[in-house]
Amino acid sequence: MIPDGQTLSYDAAPAFSTPLRFFLTAPLFGAAAGAALLAAPELLDSRWTPGALAVTHLIAVGFMLTVMLGALFQVLPVVAGAVIPRSGPVATVVHVAMTTGALCLAWGLGSGSPAFLVPATVLLGGGLTLFVVAAFLGLRRIPVAQATPRDMRIALLGFAVAVALGITLALALGGRLDLPLLTVLKLHIGWALLGGSGVLLAAASWVVVPMFQITPNYPATLTRFWAMGTGAVLLVWSATVYGELGSAEFALSAALAALCALFAVSTLRLQRQSRRSVPDMTTRAFQLGMGSFIAGLACVLTAQQSEHQVWPLLAGILILHGGFVSVIVGMLYKIVPFLAWLHLTQDVGKAPNMKKLQPDSPIRRHLALHAVALAALLVAALVGNAWLIRLAGLLVVGEFAFLFANILKVLGNYRRAHAA
Amino acid sequence: MKKTVDARGLEPPQPFERVMDALADLPKGESLLLLLDRMPHPLFRILDRDGYKYESRIRDDGVVEIDILNP
Repeated sequence: MIPDGQTLSYDAAPAFSTPLRFFLTAPLFGAAAGAALLAAPELLDSRWTPGALAVTHLIAVGFMLTVMLGALFQVLPVVAGAVIPRSGPVATVVHVAMTTGALCLAWGLGSGSPAFLVPATVLLGGGLTLFVVAAFLGLRRIPVAQATPRDMRIALLGFAVAVALGITLALALGGRLDLPLLTVLKLHIGWALLGGSGVLLAAASWVVVPMFQITPNYPATLTRFWAMGTGAVLLVWSATVYGELGSAEFALSAALAALCALFAVSTLRLQRQSRRSVPDMTTRAFQLGMGSFIAGLACVLTAQQSEHQVWPLLAGILILHGGFVSVIVGMLYKIVPFLAWLHLTQDVGKAPNMKKLQPDSPIRRHLALHAVALAALLVAALVGNAWLIRLAGLLVVGEFAFLFANILKVLGNYRRAHAA
Repeated sequence: MKKTVDARGLEPPQPFERVMDALADLPKGESLLLLLDRMPHPLFRILDRDGYKYESRIRDDGVVEIDILNP
């Protein structure tokens, strides 16, 4: 006998426009990062130039975090059955706060104007706090036994720590706090890229890779312990950074790199077991991403043993552009057409084939341009030639404009199908 | 004998399309068994909206089983 009442609350399920506004805004920040390289190639002289800090945050906050937050508004209901309460108004406030906050942050860092860092910290801190609270409310009834929702909670905590450290840094830069800047900066980077972004990427991958790339599931031991283990090692690493325990810090950095490499290698191995005869575009994007992560981690460890300025630059390019941007773009090309298809099915009862909503050929061209832009950035950072850096910047502008156009095309196809 | 729809190992939205096709042919008072790799939260919304009764469980081997009744 099937009972009557096994229903979930979908009253607050978000509209398609909720994640889409994040997905359409994010590429503009990526293009702005490229434009900055085009206009001021000297910003790649070191990772400490104001321009390099601005470009880093245009990508990390303006592109990566914006897409991640937008995706979570719809990934949580689809993957975990968790609905963020009042998702429409919450998404509007979070979107405005994060985008204006990212602009203030990039401008404040790039122009060397600490005055802009105050509104940036208020907007980013407030927007992310609102999102974290709303997401925890949405997740409160979801059992912690499920790997993805459990690890998403860990990632949200990681982001909260990263933002708190970012606010501390902004206050220190503005002269309001007297702190060792390099120490707080290291902690901020560790928690933002690994505690927040890395754990969230893994939590999403536990579901997205087997589901969309038709692979076996990740090993249960990995999904059960990876995020918690990484969080625990990150905590101990933070203590060694704070205590300036050089050799212990390097050993724990190596342990964190090994954990990241384990995730990357496991993903690549799963993809080799895919039931697809020919890898699709998302699989290719993930392969580029995982390869870049592994190379970037090697550069991070090398940078700790070498004084040369190029290693941190290469690490940043490989991890942010080669790793996170590749994987996020790969996920976007599955998530956006799938959500368009799902909303059409729910709203009008039928939807065109997903390949009609998002054809393969523009994705292939975009990913090719992305790979060329990555190669150009790496060569430009190694050679240091201004015109090469300008060319790399132009390619970055082009790739993010291409991404924007491709997402816009899905929206156009969705609207036509909705009106038909 | 209850009809079974095995939609494991398929890329979204094919599992969704298969079960919607099967539900279109499901006579009133009969039920079907759906086998999936994971819990289909968006499908539950459609089943609620269209008045189907359903019960889901996860087998020891991780396969998700859903009994769907057309009342």
